[in-house]
Amino acid sequence: MKALPFPDASPALSVRLVFLTGSASDPAGREGAAWLAGHMLAYGGTRRRTYKQILDFLFPRGAALSCTVDKEMVCFRLDCHRDHAEEAAELLAEMLGDPGWREEDFIRLRDDALHYLEAHLRGENDEELAREALYGMVFRGHPYGHCCAGRVGSLRRMALEHVREFYTAEFAFDNAILACGGAWAEGACELLRQRLKTLPPKARNGAGAPPAPGTEATGMLFIEKPAQGVAISAGFPIEVRRGHPDYAALLTAVSALGQHRMSSGRLFQSLRQHRGLNYGTYAYIEYFPGPMFSLEPEPNHARRQQIFELWIRPVARQQAHFALRLALAELEKLAEEGLAPDEFERTRQFLARHAVLLEEARSAQLGHVIDSLFYGTGTFSGWLREQLAALSAEDVRRAVQRWLRPGAMQFAFAGEDMDELRQRILDNAPSPVSYNAPRPAWVLEEDRRVQDRPIEVPKANARLVRAEEMFE
Amino acid sequence: MAAGKAFPFAYEQHDLSNGLRVIAVPLPWRGVASVYIIVGAGSRNEVEPGRSGFAHFFEHMMFRGTPRFPPERYEAELQRMGAASNAYTDDDRTVYHTTLASEDLEPLLEMEADRFLHLRYSEEDFRTEALAVLGEYMKDSAEPLHRLEEKLRDTAFDVHPYKHTTMGFLRDIERMPEMYDYSLQFFGRYYRPEHTTLLIAGDIRPQEALRLAERHWGSWERGSWQPDVPEEPPQNGLREARIEWRSPTLPYVVVAQKAPAYCDSGPECAALDLISLAGFSEGSELYRRLVIDEQWVEHLWANHVDHVDPYLFIVTARVKQPERLRDVRQAIEDELARFAAEPMPEDRLERVKSHLFYSFVLGLDRSESVAAALAPYIGLRRTPETVNRIFDRYAEASPADLVRVAQRYFTPQTRTVVTLEEVAQ
Repeated sequence: MKALPFPDASPALSVRLVFLTGSASDPAGREGAAWLAGHMLAYGGTRRRTYKQILDFLFPRGAALSCTVDKEMVCFRLDCHRDHAEEAAELLAEMLGDPGWREEDFIRLRDDALHYLEAHLRGENDEELAREALYGMVFRGHPYGHCCAGRVGSLRRMALEHVREFYTAEFAFDNAILACGGAWAEGACELLRQRLKTLPPKARNGAGAPPAPGTEATGMLFIEKPAQGVAISAGFPIEVRRGHPDYAALLTAVSALGQHRMSSGRLFQSLRQHRGLNYGTYAYIEYFPGPMFSLEPEPNHARRQQIFELWIRPVARQQAHFALRLALAELEKLAEEGLAPDEFERTRQFLARHAVLLEEARSAQLGHVIDSLFYGTGTFSGWLREQLAALSAEDVRRAVQRWLRPGAMQFAFAGEDMDELRQRILDNAPSPVSYNAPRPAWVLEEDRRVQDRPIEVPKANARLVRAEEMFE
Repeated sequence: MAAGKAFPFAYEQHDLSNGLRVIAVPLPWRGVASVYIIVGAGSRNEVEPGRSGFAHFFEHMMFRGTPRFPPERYEAELQRMGAASNAYTDDDRTVYHTTLASEDLEPLLEMEADRFLHLRYSEEDFRTEALAVLGEYMKDSAEPLHRLEEKLRDTAFDVHPYKHTTMGFLRDIERMPEMYDYSLQFFGRYYRPEHTTLLIAGDIRPQEALRLAERHWGSWERGSWQPDVPEEPPQNGLREARIEWRSPTLPYVVVAQKAPAYCDSGPECAALDLISLAGFSEGSELYRRLVIDEQWVEHLWANHVDHVDPYLFIVTARVKQPERLRDVRQAIEDELARFAAEPMPEDRLERVKSHLFYSFVLGLDRSESVAAALAPYIGLRRTPETVNRIFDRYAEASPADLVRVAQRYFTPQTRTVVTLEEVAQ
């Protein structure tokens, strides 16, 4: 276990303990094992204490203990006041090293995982539904191919014993990175290192994370469900990740295209500012957990395999085809031309300065330290600033031409009357738009060019499913 | 519970002669500052018929530029600064916030002053932005909690603007493109220094921050408008509503009670905050019973969100077993009645007070978090001292206070219950 203390004089202790395992290591047929193992540790009892007794400890202390399970990382996070640092660290060690494995905790948490898939994704969050569907398409047949929470069928078949097996095989001492910050950071590191020696020393060889299976043909999945708008996600795998020589160049290009939740991106300007088509459209070269809820990416979702992702927030049905064409036209333009010199400088400067803001909060800082170890970059903000300082507009142009011109792209749509949208896209039907006010001539001219832009997809690859069929 | 003030940082507070209040909070984190511009106008100010959602819409228009900083230039400047910038609208306030390197504080304050003093947009841009608001409504409409809030407010209130959500009624959002002239009026009424507080928190020198505020915001002209917000008549009977959800979901039940306006000079609001946690949080007996033991419920929580005018105390449960919806409602109503019938043990109340204190203090972990935590309190009383005042009321509250408050507010006559259930398509 790597243990990294960052003591300071603050009144709080923050701990992040990441096991380098996750849903990519779920055994076949037991998808959801990593999720349930993580949740059983964080939201279930230990051998000595029931979960209610754990809440009795945490609640009056205002302490928070949580777990996130991603493809290759399971992160436990503890934040508490220095008044309770030692006893909270003891509790965390007990929860991770000596779980209670109670059947009633298992049933509760398995039901929660099932409800996440069956209710939340299928019926309550169309945008995340489309995003998860996209990842499922890009990584079909790959260890990343299922939702981190598992599949409905595998969760139903899961037994407590399977979760324990996963824990024993994967939650090993040498498989963990610990970072503690703030008050009593060194003490917490030492305590957790000592207590967690009871974990198995070595993890089994995980499933690994090979490159995404390449596909020659564009694919589309139309998910039918009642909805006022159509949520759209699109993307393709990229080899570039943190540490790659093209990372900074591609990050700069994609930030200019659609920096998360910022109005400066070309996609935001084009779809929302000039045309009012939706609430926003953004682009990514790294997985961003829960983008509808967060302005900043939560660390410790590091992945060896990433995709380029377009996130088009819900669009009125009649305009969905046009909005998609417009977003693709923006992507194509970027891939062909790169960035203008002033846009390049501005974006480069933004990223260099913004990276520092992302690490301001202590817990986020710890998370980034762990991610930096995963990617082998050294301190991420420092590494990124170095890379950005050496970057030229020409580097960006080369990077976009290399990485943003996919042979095939995957698309997921969630909304109502999907059959009609599917047919329109298959027919490459024109998709003219009209506005409620005069628009500048250049906008109308661009619309005329975009409204017939072909999107080629083989009919057999444009599948229609009902939301209720997802995640089986 | 630890000793000390809940808001542990020193600050400077100063009113410019035009009425703009400036609050500067120096913080220990190096190199970063957060600027929160808090306008005391939200959906509470949408008093005219057909204007629901307008404060939020106007928040969007504030990003449509000035002659000096057209939107493209404004965006480019923010980008150069590496700033994280956004805004939100609530019932009682609209907040524009930016976090950036503290060395860029002056250019930001200059640019922000420019848009508050000289906003100008075309009718065409106004109409286009109205569609983006419709897009925002469209994304929200896929969430059951959004629909529940919409239905709850509409059912619980008759005349007060809290009857609608911040987004507004859909019928009004659809008519927004026609309201250009009204938008100019709205700006002239509420975007005035006497309604606004400028909060600057971070690696700053307070006197320098006050000087910059004076330099760039000092010429802003005071206004005179005060909204005539209708008073909600007393509720005289149980109200109920049901939502049919056409997609997969788990059923929800919301039990809401009419609650008083924010007040930190007496025990009422503090007592309701304490009850919300004592009764319905992870630290409550009911949570343990419904979520952990019986497993009828996935999530249970209560909100008592401070408001300028009387609003609601709201308990929400996401029910795992649809056939238990009625039982869960009954359990929540019984718990409300229990607060009115018997005093809570002193040690249990102490645990809740301790939770409130520690969780608030733990949240103050960077400039952005400190400013974000202060913004609602400043929206209510225009001073960070509000935090310490309400925490003093928490410390003083006794089990008997909680009983008195529960007896007053948890009556079936002032209750509204909304359920949401999946229906077959």
